Amino acid sequence: MFDINTSIGHWPFRRLTRNTVPELKDYLQSFGISRAAVCHNHAACYQNCHDANIELYEALQQDKEGFFVGIATLNPTYAAWQRDLECCVKKFNFRGVRILPKYHNYLLNSRASWELFDAAAEYKIPVIIPNELVNCRQRFWMEPEEALGAGNIFATASRFSDTTFVAMETAFPETPGRHPQNLYVEMSRFLSCYGRKLNKFIAAAGADHVLFGSGAPFKEIEPALLKLYHTELSDSDRLLIARGNAEKLFG
Amino acid sequence: MFYRMPEKYHTVDVHNHVWFKNGTLDGERMHDLLIASDLLGIEKLCVSVPLTNPYAAPEKCRQANDVTYQAMQYSDRLLGFCFADAAGGEEMIKEVDRCICKLGMVGIKMYHQHKLQDRIQKDLMQRAAELGVPVLMHAAMARNAATIERGPLCSHAGDFLEALEVYPDTMFIQGHIGGGGDWQWNLRTLETIESDNYWIDLSGSVIDAGILRDTVDAVGADRVLFATDGSFEEAVGKLQAAHLSEAEILKITSGNFNKIMQRRKVAVKNV
Repeated sequence: MFDINTSIGHWPFRRLTRNTVPELKDYLQSFGISRAAVCHNHAACYQNCHDANIELYEALQQDKEGFFVGIATLNPTYAAWQRDLECCVKKFNFRGVRILPKYHNYLLNSRASWELFDAAAEYKIPVIIPNELVNCRQRFWMEPEEALGAGNIFATASRFSDTTFVAMETAFPETPGRHPQNLYVEMSRFLSCYGRKLNKFIAAAGADHVLFGSGAPFKEIEPALLKLYHTELSDSDRLLIARGNAEKLFG
Repeated sequence: MFYRMPEKYHTVDVHNHVWFKNGTLDGERMHDLLIASDLLGIEKLCVSVPLTNPYAAPEKCRQANDVTYQAMQYSDRLLGFCFADAAGGEEMIKEVDRCICKLGMVGIKMYHQHKLQDRIQKDLMQRAAELGVPVLMHAAMARNAATIERGPLCSHAGDFLEALEVYPDTMFIQGHIGGGGDWQWNLRTLETIESDNYWIDLSGSVIDAGILRDTVDAVGADRVLFATDGSFEEAVGKLQAAHLSEAEILKITSGNFNKIMQRRKVAVKNV
């Protein structure tokens, strides 16, 4: 299995455990997860968030087997983000770029974002957009009042068809209309058994557009595994969601 | 890890809902509820129709409770909780009596119309104590403005502690530790609790690492109840993630609930 939703590092507003490369790797492996995309939590609150990319790169030197795929976090309103992106792709070999508009105080639908989307398309790496990092109802006062909104992510992907997007920590309606082919969705926030919401979404978007993710170490892993287990899928579609799609995107 | 609750736990979901559709029971949604429960090995579900307006008039509560009763008649796996708003006064007490004594419901469900310890609740809490049924209250310590604005009188753990003082004979279930809100604040508030009239249910979509382990550490396994509130995989998943002992799991999945049911003081009269 390939978990596309993991992170390392401290979180300023809540204690996390299993948040180092060796600890997280051991933990994920204990659930049969064999690869994972990982970003660094410090990037949400660093003024110069590229420092967190450097920390991630340094931490991943402990991962000799290539269990983890690094994901950059960038703020397109900050100085030199283009050079940071180049560094993350060419030097660090990171395979995606995460943006956090609510934490870095800009709009998803803004010129800064658009420029980053175009740059990511040129590098042929996906843009990862978490709907939220922490549920806004339990926010520390410095955290966002609301999530980005699945509809905003959907609209963004529809508009920038040359860029590949991965939406995380959100559920989309099961019949969202024509699903943008450049939008992949991490599944941990969908209901699986109750109302078969995940199945309905897969029927609309295609199994080739859904990715397994756990949210570790913020979240417990078991619920995501239960959701995948209880989704009615052919063996080939299950394999796509469990790892095939992620390998194609993050390779 | 298991993908379905083992039968030996006889798992009861103490916090779930059925819904209106065109003025009657939404049968399709109830069917979905039962399918999900089958898939995840949940034997019984406590259900109610929640009303979230600032005032839920007695006639609205009665309609809601009739829908709950419809569900109870469809499947004996569905145990009814009577929805109540204390502002309904004497009429509301009569509705509670109808639901508990005649329709065979097993508890009272409240939302955020009033704080749990508010004096307006006095007669209703006293009646719940006389009947020997628990009061399950929607609860959260919301930290974002939109949620606070939607439910300014939503109860949190501090309110439950006050209510236990004000209404010492009433049994309270605090809804969904993972229902959204500052769950750590709730647990820190509760960590010295000693009452035998207090439980908290583990439901809700929030599955922060350690949430159930911390809940059990704060209030003790004797005061935790299994529940989903519609977040099924989350509940079964976080139960396993807590790495509890077999004895603790048995208490949470059914043992504690059965003890609450044994405290019922009235038999059900024929409708």
